[in-house]
Amino acid sequence: MKRIKFLSIFFMIFIFSLSWSSQNFRGNKEKEPKNFPFRQEIRYIKSINEGQPFRYQGPPYAPDQVLVKFKASLSIQSIEAITKAYRLNKIKKISSIDVYKFQIPENISVEELLYSLNKNPDVEYAEPNYKVYLAATPNDILFRYQYNLYNSGQEVGPPGSPQGKKSADIKATQAWEETKGEKIVLIAVIDTGVDLLHPDINEKLYSSGRDYVNNDFDATDDHGHGTHVAGIVAAETNNQEGIAGVAWNCKILPVKVLDENGVGDVDLVIEGIDWAVTEGANVINMSFGANMNIKGLTPSRFFEEAIRDAYEKNVVLVAAAGNDNGPVLYPAAFDAYCLAVAASDYNDLRAEWSNFGPEIDVAAPGVWILSLWPESLTDEGYLPYVWTSGTSMATPHVAGLAALIKSIKPWLNVREIMDIIRFSADDINSSLYPGKDDYVGFGRISMEKALVPIKITSSK
Amino acid sequence: MKKRLHFLVVILLIMNLTNLSLAQNQTEETTQKISLKPTLGFEYFSRTIKWDENNYNSKLKSYLFTFSLDFEIQEGFFLSFLLGYSSNNYNGMIFRQLPFSVELEDGGIGGYLFGGEIKKNIFSQDNYEICLFGQFVYSLGATKNWEIPGLNVEASAEGKPTWIRTIVGPVFFYKGFDYFYPYLFLNFNYLWGTFKMKETIQNLIGSENKEFSGEGLFGLSVGSVYEVSRSLSLKGEASLIPYVGFIIKATYSF
Repeated sequence: MKRIKFLSIFFMIFIFSLSWSSQNFRGNKEKEPKNFPFRQEIRYIKSINEGQPFRYQGPPYAPDQVLVKFKASLSIQSIEAITKAYRLNKIKKISSIDVYKFQIPENISVEELLYSLNKNPDVEYAEPNYKVYLAATPNDILFRYQYNLYNSGQEVGPPGSPQGKKSADIKATQAWEETKGEKIVLIAVIDTGVDLLHPDINEKLYSSGRDYVNNDFDATDDHGHGTHVAGIVAAETNNQEGIAGVAWNCKILPVKVLDENGVGDVDLVIEGIDWAVTEGANVINMSFGANMNIKGLTPSRFFEEAIRDAYEKNVVLVAAAGNDNGPVLYPAAFDAYCLAVAASDYNDLRAEWSNFGPEIDVAAPGVWILSLWPESLTDEGYLPYVWTSGTSMATPHVAGLAALIKSIKPWLNVREIMDIIRFSADDINSSLYPGKDDYVGFGRISMEKALVPIKITSSK
Repeated sequence: MKKRLHFLVVILLIMNLTNLSLAQNQTEETTQKISLKPTLGFEYFSRTIKWDENNYNSKLKSYLFTFSLDFEIQEGFFLSFLLGYSSNNYNGMIFRQLPFSVELEDGGIGGYLFGGEIKKNIFSQDNYEICLFGQFVYSLGATKNWEIPGLNVEASAEGKPTWIRTIVGPVFFYKGFDYFYPYLFLNFNYLWGTFKMKETIQNLIGSENKEFSGEGLFGLSVGSVYEVSRSLSLKGEASLIPYVGFIIKATYSF
């Protein structure tokens, strides 16, 4: 009996000491973790783009290029004869979908040529080479808290910035109790590349990636956007440095298809998607978009084909809706195959610039999001982290969640993972638009509901 | 496979010991008669069950209401058939194979009980008696439906649990008191079962067949039989190992 008493007392002391030390740890964490960029760095931070998300101003497609797919029965000689007749100059062939990229003659417009090509019985389909562009650009450099992952009602940026609403976050901390992801789950970030040497992500990279802009196997980021996106998805976490990523243990596959200005052609994106699928990506993050709603033209069938092909190979595709307060961009608008992501803010309100439409599936925090920035693009004395806004920043939260679901339930197919993300979202605008709506879809994602076992407490 | 082996061992043990005992009795001159004893019983147990390849555990708390008919086919040799109702609480069991993982926190799930018992005296000297007791109980749970809360679309789950328990072992009686017979029961005590859970959330459908087994294989119980009258006896028993529980039974003899 004495022994039992002794053991009980010892056990209670042990539990008490554990909880006390755990609280202390949490307390320290909330104050200021070691090696974090602290408030004194604020004065060294410059503002970029006035805090507004990036909006592309250029032409919607390459003015001197077309993409053409010939009938499968055509011989190479016949194809050469047709291209000669149209005075097209072959740039390359996208083998994965049998599509040719041509430079067109100077004295004809893309629209005229497409009209003519699509009338040709030997041509299966011809379309413009659409421009894809970033859905965000950085506005500030600072790190304090990641309200997007855990919102305690703190200031969301430097002193004087707005204060967030408690729990207006994706409930990451609760979900990480259930899973932190598996190393075998691969997230392809198709973007401007990733800073391969950034100390807060270099250990998380699956490989040096693929660069379709410079046509090599070194997807180093020369813009910054891709590094920021990759950091949100899966920055090195629990390493007493920098920020936390959504999918702690999952790996990143960098794919560079956008240039140093954050713009790229859709043919490179198609190749990038195909390569990522071949490399074994389970999730593809596409924080860019293209306006393909152009009078007289249809959205890219080749792009849709590449997206559908990835979907059918069980890859979860997540894409940004865009930042123009207008229609949803492509590929997010390929509704059957992509999760289209809108941006919410630190108060769980839709960002006013976030695109909308029936294709929107879910929202995620996309305002004042802190993540990595390439060291090579960071001025001396500054920290390689920045704040940015945009649906580009919302999208990797969803990609990270998809990777965590894939990690814990690898038997689920892509449709099931997409449904889990949709059905578990918190309907943040239910007072105005109950149920799924065009602005935030099913709502702001909730990692907790998607991953943590739901308690069944009442029978039907 | 392991469960089947356990079950086989129990059956063989009962058969062997029973045959041995019968063989001994055949050499003795005993009075052959068949008597009928209806028994009402109530049992409660709270037992740790392990699931997901023994990586997780929770408690199975069960209330069993039983009616059994005990046939004394030979003096000191009883066969019983058992029917009843059980209420089983699986709270804490988590289904992670479903699209949305769910954890049961809804209390009891009713079900039917079927089973049988065998009891045979195998040794008797002065105030001491040893008998062999074996029991087999099958709990067939009813199908129950739940709402899955918190999602933004209608979501439901449907569950159906079953479990089987086998107990066999010697019971050591002390019969030195009048009308009051305390005993000690050492037993092999094995419980296993399956909980089938199905989840439906629009087109998202998943199911999980969760197998579980009770922690511990060997048990110890203490109890007593009290003969209220020549025709009515009461039995109380407390399980100490491998789980906490108790049994109350009232038997009427014709």
